[in-house]
Amino acid sequence: MKNIVFPFPAVLGQEKIKKALMWNVVNPRIGGLLISGEKGTAKSTLVRGLAAMIDDLEVVELPLNTTEDRLVGAIDLESAIKHGIKRFEVGILKKAHGNMLYVDEVNLLSDHIVNSLLEVAASGVNVVEREGISCRHPSRFVLVGSMNPEEGKLRAQFLDRFGLYVEVKGEEDTRERAEIIRRRLEFERDPKAYVNKWAKETIAENKRIKCAREALKNVVVTDNAMQLAASIAKEGNCAGHRAELVIVETAKAIVALDGRIALNAKDIREAAEYALPHRIRDIPDEPLSQPPEQEPLEEEQQEEQQQTNDNSPTETEDNSDDGQQLQDNPPSEPESQAEGEQQKDSEDILPQDKPEAPDQSNADGNDDEQIDEPGQIFMVKPWIMDDQERILRKGSGKRSLVKTSSMQGRYVKYKFPRESSIQDIAFDATLRAAAPFQRSRDKNGMAVALQTGDIRLKVREKRTGNTILFVVDASGSMGANKRMKAVKGAILSLLTDAYQKRDKVGLIAFRKKSAELLLGITRSVELAQKRLQDMPTGGRTPLAEGLNMAYDVLKAAKVKDPDIIPVVVLVSDGRANFACSGLNAFDEAVKAAGKFAAEGIKSIVINTDCDFIRLDLADKIADAMHADHFRIEDLEAESIVTALSMSV
Amino acid sequence: MEHANKNYPFTAIVGQEKMKTALILNIINPLLGGVLIRGEKGTAKSTAVRALAELLPEWEQVEGCVFGCDPADTGLMCSSCAEKKNKGTKLDVILSKMKVIDLPVSATEDRVVGTLDIEHAIKKGEKKFEPGILAQANRNILYVDEVNLLDDHVVDVLLDSAAMGVNNIEREGVSFSHPARFILVGTMNPEEGDLRPQLLDRFGLVVDVAGEKDVAKRVEVIRRRLEFENDPAAFSQNYEELQKELCDKISGAEQMLRQVRYNDKILELAAKISIEMGVDGHRADIGMIKTAMTIAAYNSREDVRESDMLEAAELVLPHRMRRRPFEEGIMDFTKVEEIIGDAGSGR
Repeated sequence: MKNIVFPFPAVLGQEKIKKALMWNVVNPRIGGLLISGEKGTAKSTLVRGLAAMIDDLEVVELPLNTTEDRLVGAIDLESAIKHGIKRFEVGILKKAHGNMLYVDEVNLLSDHIVNSLLEVAASGVNVVEREGISCRHPSRFVLVGSMNPEEGKLRAQFLDRFGLYVEVKGEEDTRERAEIIRRRLEFERDPKAYVNKWAKETIAENKRIKCAREALKNVVVTDNAMQLAASIAKEGNCAGHRAELVIVETAKAIVALDGRIALNAKDIREAAEYALPHRIRDIPDEPLSQPPEQEPLEEEQQEEQQQTNDNSPTETEDNSDDGQQLQDNPPSEPESQAEGEQQKDSEDILPQDKPEAPDQSNADGNDDEQIDEPGQIFMVKPWIMDDQERILRKGSGKRSLVKTSSMQGRYVKYKFPRESSIQDIAFDATLRAAAPFQRSRDKNGMAVALQTGDIRLKVREKRTGNTILFVVDASGSMGANKRMKAVKGAILSLLTDAYQKRDKVGLIAFRKKSAELLLGITRSVELAQKRLQDMPTGGRTPLAEGLNMAYDVLKAAKVKDPDIIPVVVLVSDGRANFACSGLNAFDEAVKAAGKFAAEGIKSIVINTDCDFIRLDLADKIADAMHADHFRIEDLEAESIVTALSMSV
Repeated sequence: MEHANKNYPFTAIVGQEKMKTALILNIINPLLGGVLIRGEKGTAKSTAVRALAELLPEWEQVEGCVFGCDPADTGLMCSSCAEKKNKGTKLDVILSKMKVIDLPVSATEDRVVGTLDIEHAIKKGEKKFEPGILAQANRNILYVDEVNLLDDHVVDVLLDSAAMGVNNIEREGVSFSHPARFILVGTMNPEEGDLRPQLLDRFGLVVDVAGEKDVAKRVEVIRRRLEFENDPAAFSQNYEELQKELCDKISGAEQMLRQVRYNDKILELAAKISIEMGVDGHRADIGMIKTAMTIAAYNSREDVRESDMLEAAELVLPHRMRRRPFEEGIMDFTKVEEIIGDAGSGR
């Protein structure tokens, strides 16, 4: 069915998406586009409008409900049953060949589907070996995705598949906004008439793109231009060579669409603006908040233009050296290196300056309560490591894939039954398996006869988050030096992350003489945030009580739902100084910590100790728990991929 | 209306004016994008939605079409109806009431989007698409009680089709596409967890409801409820006239809506409010104008006034304030009032 869509030229603003889309049509070798941005910014409207505008372009949609058989193709059921002929029924990948493949909400796509898609996108060939069918066909398509980064991210490998990247925002000008409303309302009042009204522009654009396609092969790419592209890509520390290829191809499209033949440095630079943002990798040690490269790049280019062949000295092969030098250049970020340099062999450390944190070490009165505002929220890097067969955070909105027998979750592909019990039959796959044999089977009046060997089961993918229980030290020592502010900020950051991963959370605070369950295990991360906000600090540190309560809560939760993956996060400086039993508080805490290790409960300790003399007590607790331990400053994400999505 | 399961009459609901208005506005103008009702337990949320069924207008539909296609609208027709129409076959038309279709929280993805018709495949050896809830929901109200508890996968597909009014199916050997334009109505209790911002934004309007604070009104709530449970038929009879009045008012407003005009000032006002309040994207602006127009029509006026904008902003903005997932989205409503006030005095 054909839906009348809002005409492409009538979309006001959003020039970047428009350009990037048109370039991709002019030159499919650019390799697609990822549009990232807030809700309601004409992302999908433009893609659909484009399809309607270009008469020989089809936009094939890949809906989120897609199963593997429809993506790659499968045996033709009807012809197999009725005629006993094995025929290949093409899937979306075949339809997309030579066209545009559009995935709305691409970050919500199921992992199995992404894997198949990546494989084909890389090779340009769809190889089908399934259900007795052996077939291969070319499948080259322009991959266009749109996403709202709030909902989760894409993994780097997938990200790299998109030639260009554009980030969108709403229009800020009152008049422009008013015009946008006016156009939209006019369209809704009478879609057909509105499309007709824009017919002239639409046809003109179509023609312009067609001409540009023709002109593309005449565009001359000089060595200089290629070198410029390469040096820009290198500057961004991009992996592989795709970046420079995409830059050159994009620049060609720009020139062709402009009706020119010669490609100049400006084109390369414009192309780089679209081709690089999602490919730039952070150089180790680089301060997070440094804006993506623009300034230094500009200089670099000028240099490049003048002294053609001379690679500037900064561009040595070694990344880390490179990073060191680059880092000296931007004067922007005052770095408190002294704070940041310490421990952690493999971890990259992000020096994060917290002006209020250091050096007022003599704490104020310990017993009065205070409520600190949470500090700054940042993007966290993958912090829940994966030790079993579960898959480490894969970017999009899930932390753990639970293969559950509960028959919930999205059906993505089939499998052969292994156990004797057969549940959750994948009927379509079963029918396909049985189809070729129908002519020879006794069918008992039915059209299809099934045998046990035909049976296939559904593989479902369920997006299950972890059940994360935060155990927060709210004692007086935490209140000192505004430390709680940083801690709250950090926990909020983790909660934000938890939200995107759809984790369940709970919150326990311990202070004075007892632990308190501020929030039972819930899906409402928002509620956790509220409780945290109001959490007062002050009093002694009954660490053991906190841990014991956490243990009990998780135990109870596990009884309720055996499928959950519990994670306990202890946020403390480890300076236990109270135990109900009256015994040594720290020993009691170590004992309580041991219970988690014994049960194999995943645990993480966030060490908040930032006194001048570190006692590393929290690390000892962490050892007893068999926990991963972090310091707050270790939690911040260093990867540009994550930084990107927060710059909205 | 069948008598077996009598609904509590809409007009008999005490108070909750904002919620009632929001629901009615959506019937008058199905393009408003639905409504989300947030509130504690026992605040007549579900009752109101279910009661809506009786107020719904009648549509022209193609007879026998699972998707209830509009015979006049070729743009949003299912493939079989469109084919018939192209061939010049006459489509049989029946009048049918708009319905409230339930989407239970336990619904699985295949039931929501539709799937392979197994029975047909086994008996006939042919592939056939078995329509799901989204097919039924086309041109109707899709009601999700406890929408915040909906399975993530289901939310994803719901978003997908809510966005474009089309349900694309590529699963279980079936490749199919059908119109799925519906009014999304959700109710939720915020204590049970929050809604993903992406889904939140899909709701055109949001109302927060709370229990009545006034004792006399609370008593009235109890009195009516008991009376209804005692004898639903008799109780409903008492409200027949009010119901009829409201129905007429709604259909009058529907007619009126086409005549409603707005001037540039109003448009700019919408843009200004959105910018000042810092909302994401443009959906809020467009929603505000459409809602204001519908409010004007509901009040039997042909011109959109500033007061309509204020009322519309109250329904359209609260859930769209830009914020990180956990920042408190505080809606400073006086600010909207100021902006509107400024615009009014500027004339």
